Amino acid sequence: MSVAGARAAAGQALPPHRLPRLIPPEGPLALAEHLERYGPVPFSDAAAGPGRDTLISEVEQSGLTGRGGAGFPAGRKMRAVAQAGRRAGPLRSQVGTVVIANGAESEPGSTKDRMLLARAPHLVLDGIALAAEAVGATRAYLCLHETSDGVDRILSSAISSRERAGLNRLPIQVVMIGGGYVASQETSLVSFINGGAGKPAFVPPRPSDKGAHGRPTLVQNVETLAHLALIARYGPSWFRKVGGGAGSALVTFGGAVHRPGVYEIALGTPLSDLLRQAGGPTEAPQAIQAGGYFGGWIRYQDALDVPVSDPGLRAAGASLGPGILVLVPASACGLAETARVVGYLAEQSAGQCGPCFNGLPALADALWELAYGRADRDTLGWATRLLSLIARRGACHLPDGTAALAASTLRVFADELGRHTAAGPCNRVRRPGVLPVPGHPDVRA
Amino acid sequence: MSRRTARASLRVNPIACQAHGLCIELLPELVRADPWGYPLIRQGPVPEELLPLARRAVAACPTLALLLARDD
Amino acid sequence: MSILGAVAPPGAIVVNSATPLWYLTRATGLVALVLLTASMALGLLSSVRYQRPAWPRFVIVGLHRNLSLLALVFTGAHIATTLADSYAPIRLQDVLIPFISAYRPLWLGLGAIAFDLMIALTVTSLIRTRISYRSWHLVHWGSYVCWPVAVLHGLGTGSDTQVTWVLGLTIGCVALIAGLTGWRLAYGWPSYAFARLAGALAIVLTLVAGGAWLAAGPLRPGWARRSGTPPSLITGRNRAGAAALSQRQTTAGAAALSQRQTTAGAAALSQRQTTAGAAALNQGGSRATVALNRGGIRTTAAALLRQGR
Repeated sequence: MSVAGARAAAGQALPPHRLPRLIPPEGPLALAEHLERYGPVPFSDAAAGPGRDTLISEVEQSGLTGRGGAGFPAGRKMRAVAQAGRRAGPLRSQVGTVVIANGAESEPGSTKDRMLLARAPHLVLDGIALAAEAVGATRAYLCLHETSDGVDRILSSAISSRERAGLNRLPIQVVMIGGGYVASQETSLVSFINGGAGKPAFVPPRPSDKGAHGRPTLVQNVETLAHLALIARYGPSWFRKVGGGAGSALVTFGGAVHRPGVYEIALGTPLSDLLRQAGGPTEAPQAIQAGGYFGGWIRYQDALDVPVSDPGLRAAGASLGPGILVLVPASACGLAETARVVGYLAEQSAGQCGPCFNGLPALADALWELAYGRADRDTLGWATRLLSLIARRGACHLPDGTAALAASTLRVFADELGRHTAAGPCNRVRRPGVLPVPGHPDVRA
Repeated sequence: MSRRTARASLRVNPIACQAHGLCIELLPELVRADPWGYPLIRQGPVPEELLPLARRAVAACPTLALLLARDD
Repeated sequence: MSILGAVAPPGAIVVNSATPLWYLTRATGLVALVLLTASMALGLLSSVRYQRPAWPRFVIVGLHRNLSLLALVFTGAHIATTLADSYAPIRLQDVLIPFISAYRPLWLGLGAIAFDLMIALTVTSLIRTRISYRSWHLVHWGSYVCWPVAVLHGLGTGSDTQVTWVLGLTIGCVALIAGLTGWRLAYGWPSYAFARLAGALAIVLTLVAGGAWLAAGPLRPGWARRSGTPPSLITGRNRAGAAALSQRQTTAGAAALSQRQTTAGAAALSQRQTTAGAAALNQGGSRATVALNRGGIRTTAAALLRQGR
């Protein structure tokens, strides 16, 4: 019997078919209200809950992909960790695996994870507990960024209330992560929990084989875990009912729109719909920057029909990343915006890999020249050469992601570049930046 | 019938690599230097006749950053 | 009974079986020092990425590895000849465990420390693909201890410290490594600035302290006794030196000297360094000095006494 059928048989409320699924519109729910709205946490020994292996199968069937930016199939990752846990012990016995919930959200343009943790903490905590049971975890961590002040208090109190209600089968340890852009990368979190520097590590071994405390580790974004908590209750078919089978996702929409913020959308929604929800542009729009700082640009006139999903945005020359869209108005200069962002990313290098800590500053300097200085063919040639020199030559994706953003910039703003080459920097480079760059005072939130 | 030999590819661990440059000297057929002295490895499996030289380059790396991985 | 205990007829040149091994020990020790210095130098050049058309990186690194092994071989020969030579009371355990030998315990002990470190360096380097890079690197920093300790061992234990070319060679090695280590410290400045400055200070202090010790210690008379050479061996060395020099001595002085020292030396050695024997030896030694001074053969006596250190 499917889970939904079991619930129907038990007379419980049916799940929401429409949005919102993750963020309750009435505000944060206390534990009792949360359990009343969604039903009990379907651990494998609960009456109508799915069995341990069944949860992994259901997640696989649902096609849920990671919502942290990489988009890796969640079921496949869980399967790998569970299998590695079965193999990894001495004499091939079971060894306890580890679950790390990634709420560190170090991408400057993204606020969806903080929002989700503040408004629906119990959904995330359900997801952690269910995932832990499914992969045989004996330890669980929830990583938060040290600047997300207030969120850790909400989470701590939510965890305490679950403890009092006897829901915490596995204690969930909240870990505050410092550091910058690369600190929330999967292997960085593992390194930090292992007492290391919190910098990306060379793969292999993947965390799913050998991660925290040397054990197979499941690292999953908090939004992914929230979706998992709902799939465990309502099943994969329910999940696939929206978004053309891809489900729903949280998107942070920023820039020159009337109502910037976090929206939950059905994946595949046309961007124009989302733009309407966000109140439309505040001034004449120029382009959309999509996918965060490893993403790309889409000219505004080309963007309106683009479906907001990873395949849709990739076809348009950008990506979804951790669900970030920024509307950049015509009063800004795309070259200057990118130059500022790449300058920030170059500072964010962990300093471990030569091609990155040499190549990224060189690329930042070249882009700076193109935007604010002499935009000549030599500089453009050097910048283009740098893109192929740094791609895929680091331990993490900072060099490739930065190269992708720069490549997209040079392609989409080719006309702008031509004008800079002919006449020098336009006066729009002096406009305060639209793309958020931490630590730089001219940034507009 | 030809003997089936395992195909292997060269990879570099970019964190361990400190640009000593021995691999670039010992295996110029497959490894070039980028503008900062770090190795640029030609994509694809190592040709069979270069495998002994590749193994020598891997053994010579002072930080054990050069890796010869089986393609499987 | 060793040939050393035999009473030699006056004027005869006494050659004993200990002599070739003793020369081999000193020779292999010096060669090992030079090889160790060369290896250390190449290691330092490698860490500053030294490169020339005639000196590719793989040559510097490969030569460093090969010379290290060669240095270990010569150190092994140095140790083997020392053990084989029954002249000085050095046992196998003294080679590996520092400071327990009867012969110059502190200075020989330094040799043991250096040898232990060489073993650690060699073994970890041979298995470096099987251990973590961090472990290998940590042990390899032991070379900054191994080399200076080996040099000190050579200066303190060696019989040739006062020989001009040996002293010059040692000082040359020290200057080379000090210079290259300074270069190594400067490479990559200003990262880890505090550690680099501390290292530079350590080098300067070591050189100053080492130089002061050298001037007050091995280069001054009586070092053999002060460094802990068993007393019986001090006269024994005089004896061998006397035998070598006997051709240049006047017959009277040589005869008187060799007779007195033969008796005292033989007595001490056959009694295996009993206190009485040691006292007799010391008496015999000083009497020999007095006799020589009275006899006016001061040059020869000075040469003899220097040999005894």
